Amino acid sequence: MYRSQRLSLRYYTAAITLFGVMILFGLLSALYYVFPSMLFEVLNFSTSKILHIDTLVIWLLMAFLGAVYWYLPQELEHEVVGIRLAEATFWVFCAVVAVVAVVFLVVQIGDSTAFTLWFINQGRKYVEAPRWASIGVVVVMGVFAYNVVATCVKARRMTGVTWVLVLDLIPLLAVYMDAFPADENMSRDLYWWWWLVHMWVESTWEVLIGCIMAMVLMDVMGTSRRIVETWLYIEVMLVLGAGILGLGHHYFWIGTPEYWLSIGGFFSALEPLPLLGMVVHAVYDAGEHRLRTVNRPAFFWITTEAFLNFIGAGVWGFMMTLPQINLFSHGTQWTVSHGHFAFYGAYVCGVIAVFYVAKQKTSGVACLDDRFWKWGYGLLNIGMVGMVMGLLLAGITQAFYGRAIGGSTLMAFTQVSENPWFLSGIWARLLFGIVFAAGYVALVYDLLRKPRSNAVGAGEIAGAAT
Amino acid sequence: MTPTAFVATALLMGAFVLAGGGYGSLYSVGRLQGRPRLIRMGAVCLVVALGFAAAIVVATPLAVGWKILIGVSAAGYAAIPPLVWRYLEQLHSGGRAMR
Ligand code: HEM
Ligand code: HEM
Ligand SMILES: [Fe+2]
Repeated sequence: MYRSQRLSLRYYTAAITLFGVMILFGLLSALYYVFPSMLFEVLNFSTSKILHIDTLVIWLLMAFLGAVYWYLPQELEHEVVGIRLAEATFWVFCAVVAVVAVVFLVVQIGDSTAFTLWFINQGRKYVEAPRWASIGVVVVMGVFAYNVVATCVKARRMTGVTWVLVLDLIPLLAVYMDAFPADENMSRDLYWWWWLVHMWVESTWEVLIGCIMAMVLMDVMGTSRRIVETWLYIEVMLVLGAGILGLGHHYFWIGTPEYWLSIGGFFSALEPLPLLGMVVHAVYDAGEHRLRTVNRPAFFWITTEAFLNFIGAGVWGFMMTLPQINLFSHGTQWTVSHGHFAFYGAYVCGVIAVFYVAKQKTSGVACLDDRFWKWGYGLLNIGMVGMVMGLLLAGITQAFYGRAIGGSTLMAFTQVSENPWFLSGIWARLLFGIVFAAGYVALVYDLLRKPRSNAVGAGEIAGAAT
Repeated sequence: MTPTAFVATALLMGAFVLAGGGYGSLYSVGRLQGRPRLIRMGAVCLVVALGFAAAIVVATPLAVGWKILIGVSAAGYAAIPPLVWRYLEQLHSGGRAMR
């Protein structure tokens, strides 16, 4: 085992812990919807939600870093260069996250001054962490980029996957710089902020998870490098081709020029097509190896990733990506439904696969499949699908009664909040959220427990492992 | 756009892509396991998807440009599964020859 793989286990541990924190604040946020005056002026909904979605971004980022630290030395057959520095920045990262979380919980909000911006909250959704902390994240990411590039140089070796990864890191880091500028003009501010949020989830992260998936496929399915890499190039071109200008679907109503209506609608409507290609690819790969795999949970999660990425991002996104529809659905629970489904399908499922790869390698079993993983798999998926269905119902009700019929007035908004359809959706979200949380517990338990050494199946597996 | 037309359009759009995905999934699983029945069920999904696309074109108040876009992407949903499949097969047999 490479030293950087031990670092990656640390990253995974931090990621899984924050995943739990995120679920906790998700459940808390959902409770406000059914008990609106809960914790009034003690801990408001906004703070709880910030903790929910900021931990989301951070834990996924940590899991991505972990995955790269895991696979990089394996790809290049060389220990990661600057590993000491990377180990030190891991602790910096954890400390920064902990301090920010405490400030969010205790201080919560500040005056509209530069001090607040620097030390309390930047007020930019998903990346609310104050500036000093954002600088900390930049340092961590900078060291990470150095690790990757320096290792490639030192190893004098590049694979196709590593090329894509390195090139992707440039825009990924560049758009994070958008976490900093604070413009008093709301339109301009949002304009740039969307570069960060959209370009991450619909472009650079999508490429990053593509690289990670490619490495997992070679690892657990024994898919040949040539296939995986050729497919990765095509996928990256298609995803970026539609995804970059798809940015325009966030520029419909923020004061940006009118041509964004056409650009955004057009390109984002094409976004599901490459995701469909990935579904076909996933099925092909699964079958080419006759479902023989050394790691069943990783295999199932990775296949699920392809399907739910298509449904959560593709189908749910497509429903409301044309301006005529978005006019009414914008910012309702419909959006929340899509946000949950897409993040879960595209990223959560993928990183869980990576966790299982690590579990197998660290426990040294030839074949990982001892049933209990199905509990986590089942409960998490049922919980998520139930949540997004409830949210879809709530969102359609809001868009229909509150927006299209009610004309988006405050009165209409208030009234629709008491609509029985809306309320059932909100309750369903809470209840399925509890199912999801149970799935998380099962997942963590399964990841931590010692696997049975599985003699049966090892022979059958041998073919796939070569 | 009337409120009902709005909800109907959004749901038709979702159903269209979902059915397109159904075609892609059933087609590829069918090819994989050599089960013509699944491929036929996939074809039914494709017809359903095209039906939804047609419904969007004919019955919704979207502007003409968007309707053309829906038509074009319907062609995309029909073409992608077999194209990708054939391409992967080619890649794979090439890979085997190399090994
Ligand atoms: C127990 C499970 C969860 C519950 C109960 C929950 C609940 C919530 C609630 C109440 C909000 C605030 C929505 C609003 O502003 O009206 C929210 C936002 C959000 N959550 Fe969750 N969540 C859960 C799990 C997750 C997971 C697993 C993910 C990612 C995969 C996620 C991603 C998000 C995102 C992206 C938002 C922002 C959506 C938006 O504002 O459009 N949540 N969640
Ligand atoms: C992995 C991919 C994706 C992820 C993780 C994702 C996530 C999200 C999230 C979290 C939001 C809410 C942003 C906010 O207001 O805070 C959002 C909004 C949106 N997404 Fe996606 N998305 C993905 C792909 C797509 C695709 C492929 C489409 C279109 C086909 C799409 C269409 C939209 C639209 C139109 C909105 C704006 C909704 C509104 O106006 O309120 N998304 N997405
Ligand atoms: Fe977007």
